[in-house]
Amino acid sequence: MSDEIVLQTRALTKVYRDFWGRQKVRALKALDLEVYRGEVFGLLGPNGSGKTTTIKLLLGLLFPTEGEALVFGKPASDVGKNERLGYLPEESYLYRFLTAEETLDFYGRLFDMSPTVRNERVDSLIKLVGLERARKRQLQEYSKGMTRRIGLAQALINDPELILLDEPTSGLDPIGTREMKDMILRLKDEGKTIVMCSHLLADVQDVCDRIAILHQGELKELGRVDELLTVADVTQIRARNLTTDCQNEIRDVIARHHGELLAMDNPTTTLEELFLTIVRDSEARPGRRAGVR
Amino acid sequence: MVLEQQLLPYFQWLLYGGNGELGALPKFALVFLGLVMAALVVGYAIAAARHGLLRGGDVTYHTIVDGLREIVDTSPRRIWALARLAIKESLRRRVGVALGVYFLILLFANWCLSTNHQDPARLYLSFVLTATTYLVIGVAVLLSAFSLPGDFKTKTIYTVVTKPVRAGEIILGRIIGFAIVMTVLLALMSVASYVFVVRSLNHSHDVEVDSLEKIVDASGNVTGRSGRTTASAGHFHEFRLDAEGFATTSTVNGHTHEVEAVGDNSFRISGPNGFIRARVPQYGKLRFIDRSGAAKDRGISVGNEWTYRSFIDGNTPATAIWTFDDVGPHVREDYLPLALIVRVFRTHKGVVGRPIQGELRVRNPDTGATSDPFPFDAMDQQVDEYNINRELTTNNGQPIDLYDDLVTKDGRLEVLVKCLERGQYFGFAQADCYIRMPDGSPAASYAKVCVSIWVQAVIVIAVGVTISTVVSGPVALLFAAGFIILGLWRQDFVDIATGKSYGGGPAESVYRILTQANVMVRLEEGVLTTLLVGFDRFFAKPIMWAVAQFLPDFSAFSTVGYAAEGYNVPWDRVFQDVTTCLAYVVGLALIGYFLLRTREVAR
Ligand SMILES: Nc1ncnc2c1ncn2[C@@H]1O[C@H](COP(=O)(O)OP(=O)(O)O)[C@@H](O)[C@H]1O
Ligand SMILES: [Mg+2]
Repeated sequence: MSDEIVLQTRALTKVYRDFWGRQKVRALKALDLEVYRGEVFGLLGPNGSGKTTTIKLLLGLLFPTEGEALVFGKPASDVGKNERLGYLPEESYLYRFLTAEETLDFYGRLFDMSPTVRNERVDSLIKLVGLERARKRQLQEYSKGMTRRIGLAQALINDPELILLDEPTSGLDPIGTREMKDMILRLKDEGKTIVMCSHLLADVQDVCDRIAILHQGELKELGRVDELLTVADVTQIRARNLTTDCQNEIRDVIARHHGELLAMDNPTTTLEELFLTIVRDSEARPGRRAGVR
Repeated sequence: MVLEQQLLPYFQWLLYGGNGELGALPKFALVFLGLVMAALVVGYAIAAARHGLLRGGDVTYHTIVDGLREIVDTSPRRIWALARLAIKESLRRRVGVALGVYFLILLFANWCLSTNHQDPARLYLSFVLTATTYLVIGVAVLLSAFSLPGDFKTKTIYTVVTKPVRAGEIILGRIIGFAIVMTVLLALMSVASYVFVVRSLNHSHDVEVDSLEKIVDASGNVTGRSGRTTASAGHFHEFRLDAEGFATTSTVNGHTHEVEAVGDNSFRISGPNGFIRARVPQYGKLRFIDRSGAAKDRGISVGNEWTYRSFIDGNTPATAIWTFDDVGPHVREDYLPLALIVRVFRTHKGVVGRPIQGELRVRNPDTGATSDPFPFDAMDQQVDEYNINRELTTNNGQPIDLYDDLVTKDGRLEVLVKCLERGQYFGFAQADCYIRMPDGSPAASYAKVCVSIWVQAVIVIAVGVTISTVVSGPVALLFAAGFIILGLWRQDFVDIATGKSYGGGPAESVYRILTQANVMVRLEEGVLTTLLVGFDRFFAKPIMWAVAQFLPDFSAFSTVGYAAEGYNVPWDRVFQDVTTCLAYVVGLALIGYFLLRTREVAR
């Protein structure tokens, strides 16, 4: 992770209006975010909290009502930024009458790749997502998991620097979920910047360096996952090989260094708990930033 | 062949115009500028409403500048990728069904069209070509109107626009892809049609042996045989075999056969010739002399509403005079091939079906030297072909040479036509007399007709794709259909807008309909009338006029008439149509580009 900002929002606000221009939903309220090169950034929030809206604004699929979204320092409406990013949508929005191969070939062409580069990329990506045996089948025959994987391959076709993943593990079984998370970590190791949004807490906890928690379009929490999850005034002791006596005298034992001390550090709560507190807190006092810490 | 307006040579059409119209290029520039201005005003108004006056200006400015920059970034590979996608999509949507429908139509035509008709080729060609036009345009509308809205609905567009794709490429790719699909369909249909027409018209005869008679000349030598063929396809031909045993039959139902005697009583007869023709006319300039001998631009009216032709009265000095340029032996060494179409107007019946007599003379416009008249029998509205021999006599019997004496040095020649019978009238338009240049290839001319169908379909595709960037499929379909229909009636639009047609503008017409006042009645003076006329004058008519400026004249695109009536489609016509088509594609793609760019994709 470096100091270079790849993605930035300034007071980003989105109001959905109906056909007559009347206000329907305030989906996002004055969001300020910065994402640095090389980190995995998680957008966390319950359904309808504005995660997808944020991603769409970053991609220029939606226009902000107020504020602005910058990607690589350029406004989100600039097409040029797309050269360097990949996007996996919430659901697979791919042409169902194309095969896996044709799909990747098509998107490769949209990056103006030469045929040799394209074929190479298509082959390696199909291998990467494990669809070798289904490469000549139309996407309409694919299962949800396979569709998700071809969706990911599609997002990686240009070897992007910045990857936006909208609910990457939705619809995947535990194994698929695991594979997806490993993939994200691998991409991170390759130096890519990843922004993912999810309502699945475990996923976010496992892979994200930093997270932002959104609720009803408002930013509730922002910070490093490890810091956020630290409870400062509690000490946790994990020990092994303790007899019943020892357990009874555990404080003495520790004080006198009789047992084998495996760990003595600050315990963490689960992300789940933090998340739920924030949501509850937000419901009780809307419009305020949560004060859990 | 009705030619209401003279076809301009391509470059004159492109740059300078004529027939009361501006050159195509300046006109395109003007319409384009007008549209740009309108778009700027509307665009700024919307942006200002959304972002405020200053920031609105900023947004508008950036949209335009970025837009122009992106046009430079357009990549052929991306366009081609999107075009391929459009082709695959069409195949998935079973465009092939259109071919099935087409073959059903041909089957139906086979049942219902008769070859026993005075011009069966015309019947067949106009039927199959019209069917092809409608079907191809229908497919074009359906494909183009539902494609982009489908992508918006399935949200597949999200994964496309988040690639470095320029909005213009999405539009162009689709137009090109669908145009390719349509081209293949059209090619298959037109080849099938051509084969169908040729095969349907094909027939052969035998010689009616009993009818054969020897032809004997004055000195008693046998110079040949005359006879007729057996009836087939509802007609028979007569022929006169020459001494070598060859003959071309009489023309019946627009065709002839070649007859060859291979033995005493055995003959070989070819298939029909001349059904499908591509006549190449060289037109002249028409003027008239009226019954009192005075020069006139037009003849008299016999009360037809359609003023295309005007008339000369029979057995008076009234004459129709065509002046041709560029006449000389290069047309034909030994004779001048002419064609004349006469519209006969009878004030008394005479013998029904009997032709009316007329006469034709050729004259040198400078010296006034005139040939002896050639009498002819005029049948109504039929192309009669005459060959004026090179050796002629003047009216006092002096021999003169057509090309040397009657054609001026700069190649001009006059053709004078009169009607000989009292109380009967001949009607002519400029295109009714022409010099027959050697026929073009019928197949090539037919292909050119198909190009004109192609042009219409491409424009429709461009319209469909462009409008479907902002509305849903069914609405886009309606819009494109409306565009075609308005385009077919474009001339009426212009006539109403410029006050040429009776009955006033839309508001006044509605009022007239409601009050059952016919178009000629003067409306009562009053506030209401003033309001209606004012509304038409300052609102409705300017809008109609503006719309007419960029509507394509679909009725004028069709060249089916050329093929049906057996005329060659001039290259000037083809180039003009293709150029117009290109202008529409460019203009519409640009409009579509800005529409798509300023639209929120994830709405
Ligand atoms: N196209 C739309 N029109 C109107 N409201 C929308 C639209 N898309 C999303 N919303 C609303 O905006 C809010 C945020 O939606 P979204 O960003 O999709 O949430 P998330 O992805 O966090 O589940 C929700 O209340 C949703 O109903
Ligand atoms: Mg979502």
